[in-house]
Amino acid sequence: MMSELRKDLVSGRWVIIATERSKRPDDFRPGGGTARAAEPVGFCPFCDGNETKTPPEVFALRATGTAADSPGWKVRVVPNKFPALNRGTPPPKPANGIFQWMEGTGVHEVVIENPDHALELGDLPVRHIQDVFRVFQQRIKAIEEELHYQYVQLFKNKGKEAGASLSHPHSQIVATPIVPKRIKEKIYGADRLFRNFKECAFCRILQEEAAAEERQVVRNRHFSVIAPYASRFPFEMAVYPLRHSPFFTDVRDDELMTLAETMKSILTRLKETIGDPPYNLILHQAPNPSLSLEGWPEIEKNFHWHLEIFPILTKVAGFEWGTGFYINPVPPETAAKFLRQP
Amino acid sequence: MKKRILLVEDEKALCLLYEEELSREGYAVTAVTDAEAALAELGKAAFDLIVTDIRMPGKNGIELITEIMGLRKDIPIIINSAYQSYKEDFMTWAADAYVVKSASLDELKAKIKQLMGE
Repeated sequence: MMSELRKDLVSGRWVIIATERSKRPDDFRPGGGTARAAEPVGFCPFCDGNETKTPPEVFALRATGTAADSPGWKVRVVPNKFPALNRGTPPPKPANGIFQWMEGTGVHEVVIENPDHALELGDLPVRHIQDVFRVFQQRIKAIEEELHYQYVQLFKNKGKEAGASLSHPHSQIVATPIVPKRIKEKIYGADRLFRNFKECAFCRILQEEAAAEERQVVRNRHFSVIAPYASRFPFEMAVYPLRHSPFFTDVRDDELMTLAETMKSILTRLKETIGDPPYNLILHQAPNPSLSLEGWPEIEKNFHWHLEIFPILTKVAGFEWGTGFYINPVPPETAAKFLRQP
Repeated sequence: MKKRILLVEDEKALCLLYEEELSREGYAVTAVTDAEAALAELGKAAFDLIVTDIRMPGKNGIELITEIMGLRKDIPIIINSAYQSYKEDFMTWAADAYVVKSASLDELKAKIKQLMGE
């Protein structure tokens, strides 16, 4: 079978699905990458008991009667101790001239997902995963409402190859004074498609994927997980809410419970299918709703929040950097088939 | 009695400069050029503060401070590196401050004073 060029409907990005050198899950088992970052020698600043080594917590779910910045927490959020962007008033607009610049203001917080160094997100009980996602919601909402940054990005790097410098399970939240390019590409793509389809392009994709079934990994009462048609990476997955909403912060508590069950299920499947790979998890949602959205008046109708998970099993090199194309040696239909297996 | 600083800096010229400048500020400075020598000094004497570079031959500064944390957590540590990029490594949080090297030692001196409670 020939390789295929496939286009991502929303972003317009092309990928090469290299079917003739298609790989199986066993080809990616450890040796190609492991989830563990370098282990600290006897010390981890995120572990229970080392709270004084982090900046004071901005939020924590903790046992009644325990003091802030002491043991007894379940999920803990702290500002980055040595941030790249400094907290401050977002600058109004980029300075003029052909080389634009702004003051480096922003917010960078670390969500420590549990006190145990060895328990990864997918290993936690569903209730705990729900708490982690509830904390994500609360922090994103607080940053949006209090600090007026244009965009708040949630992401998780698991494993050294995915960019994690510490293996203690954590996620990061970075707020920026501008809407990042990748988000704008999706917003503009979704807007263009909304005018063609007369409905949200993401909702349309979910209908098509439900009918086709071959790229569907999980579908339950609130969420659908698919291996995207133009997946950039082997075993890439996208998690979409079935209820249309541009904002992750809108997710209701019952939906949050299903999201936790869904995450537990797919992270477990990933681990069982390809052996605990390093991965990145990212959230894409519409820009800060507490600011004016007049720049994108239709965004509530045409954008649809989602999570993307991409295991780091292949290398991004010159061809990808030069062209924006990605080469994926595992067709998403094959990936979904393996990920669906109980 | 003078407060004691352990200085870890692999570039000999810089090591001498820091030693001289910090001694002039009234500190007793013990200067070493690698992590192993720093660990040996920590076994011999009590220090009030540690200033360490990151990029060094042998163990780097991040490995050094994580090892120190395994032994004792009560000595304030300042990372003094020419590179901003190590800030992305969360193991640097074992330190109390991160100073990017510059021609002026004002920021380093101010951080030392702050962490010494002066």
